[in-house]
Amino acid sequence: MNTEESEVQVKKPWRLSLDSWAVVIALLAALLVRAGAFKHIPW
Amino acid sequence: MADGVAVPQVQPWQPALRFLRVIPGVLLLAAIGYAGKLLEQNLGAYAKAHHWVFPNIEYVLWAILLGLLISNTIGVPEIFRTGVATYEFWLKAGIVLLGSRFLLGDILKLGGVSLLLVAIEITGAMAFMTFLGRVFHLKPKLITLLAVGSAVCGVSAIIATKGAIDADDEDSSFSIAAILALGALALFTFPLIGHALHLGDRAYGIWAGLAVDNTAEATAAGALYSDAAGKLAVLVKSTRNAMIGFVVLAYAIYWASQGQAKAVGNKAAFLWQKFPKFVLGFLLISVLATYQFFSKDQVGTIANLSRWAFLLTFAGVGLRTNFRDMRKQGLRPFAVGAIGEVVIAVFTLGLVVAAEKLFGF
Repeated sequence: MNTEESEVQVKKPWRLSLDSWAVVIALLAALLVRAGAFKHIPW
Repeated sequence: MADGVAVPQVQPWQPALRFLRVIPGVLLLAAIGYAGKLLEQNLGAYAKAHHWVFPNIEYVLWAILLGLLISNTIGVPEIFRTGVATYEFWLKAGIVLLGSRFLLGDILKLGGVSLLLVAIEITGAMAFMTFLGRVFHLKPKLITLLAVGSAVCGVSAIIATKGAIDADDEDSSFSIAAILALGALALFTFPLIGHALHLGDRAYGIWAGLAVDNTAEATAAGALYSDAAGKLAVLVKSTRNAMIGFVVLAYAIYWASQGQAKAVGNKAAFLWQKFPKFVLGFLLISVLATYQFFSKDQVGTIANLSRWAFLLTFAGVGLRTNFRDMRKQGLRPFAVGAIGEVVIAVFTLGLVVAAEKLFGF
């Protein structure tokens, strides 16, 4: 590998972890319930 | 060092493609989970109408059994695999939403007791697994992975530790296979033992949360016993999960001191990176529920959302368990894991019985 190649870094885009996504989506769902978007979800 | 040229990978269509790729698997999880729910509702009623003697099998077990059947017979086709892997996401979202069913006072009371039990369990389990691994002449880093997996929280802990101590892929595969196989066994044995010993919901839930290693299996093992036991199993398991950063950090420092892993720079950043964020989400929803941010009906709706998320998780637990793959991983790590798990299960059962007498939960 030449020097020029080794100096090229691949910058990964910033991403939320699976954990954080789960928290975001769950909180969003809870807020939608609070806002009345889902009146009743049966089980 | 010369500044590198940053080459951002900008492919705007990728998130949409990733989203499309998960859809078939998520639909499969939903179909299996819902089939499990229908079987629970209809098979019991059908058996009763026809005067059959048929045990009442809960949807949790049906969903797992259907998943196991598919995974171990026809296998999971490639098109479904990405979506099936999202069961971890549904598990974590389900746990966050479950926070609405806990008042902060309950968490502080039970969390305090469970924190003490978790601290004893983690110390005892790590010491015993290390001893056992040495007796069986396992490789030192494999021993570390098995100890972390059985003491803290299964697969997530093993993956976090693997990166921190530069362990081999093979060692982490061994450990993950052993922990998953034993978790699958725990699903079927724990409820039977709990019923045989006439354990109350609380004692059983705390035991399942302390002794079953993987979060999905601990949640399922609790839910198989009762709804109340399931809640407690999640609370105790989340307390164990919260310890992951500290345990991984301790092992990372140890292996770095042996010159066999990278040194840990910023310890606070390391802890935050390893800390399971869903535990914070669970606490936040619980705080909101405690201060009546949600009405009673809304809490019921959020709790039902949590049940649906867990339904997808249970289907995923069955679908990702393949006994043939587990057999390929070899016997020795499995033997160490099995002996360790039995001892930890008995030890934690004793702890729970003693704590029940002492604290009267």
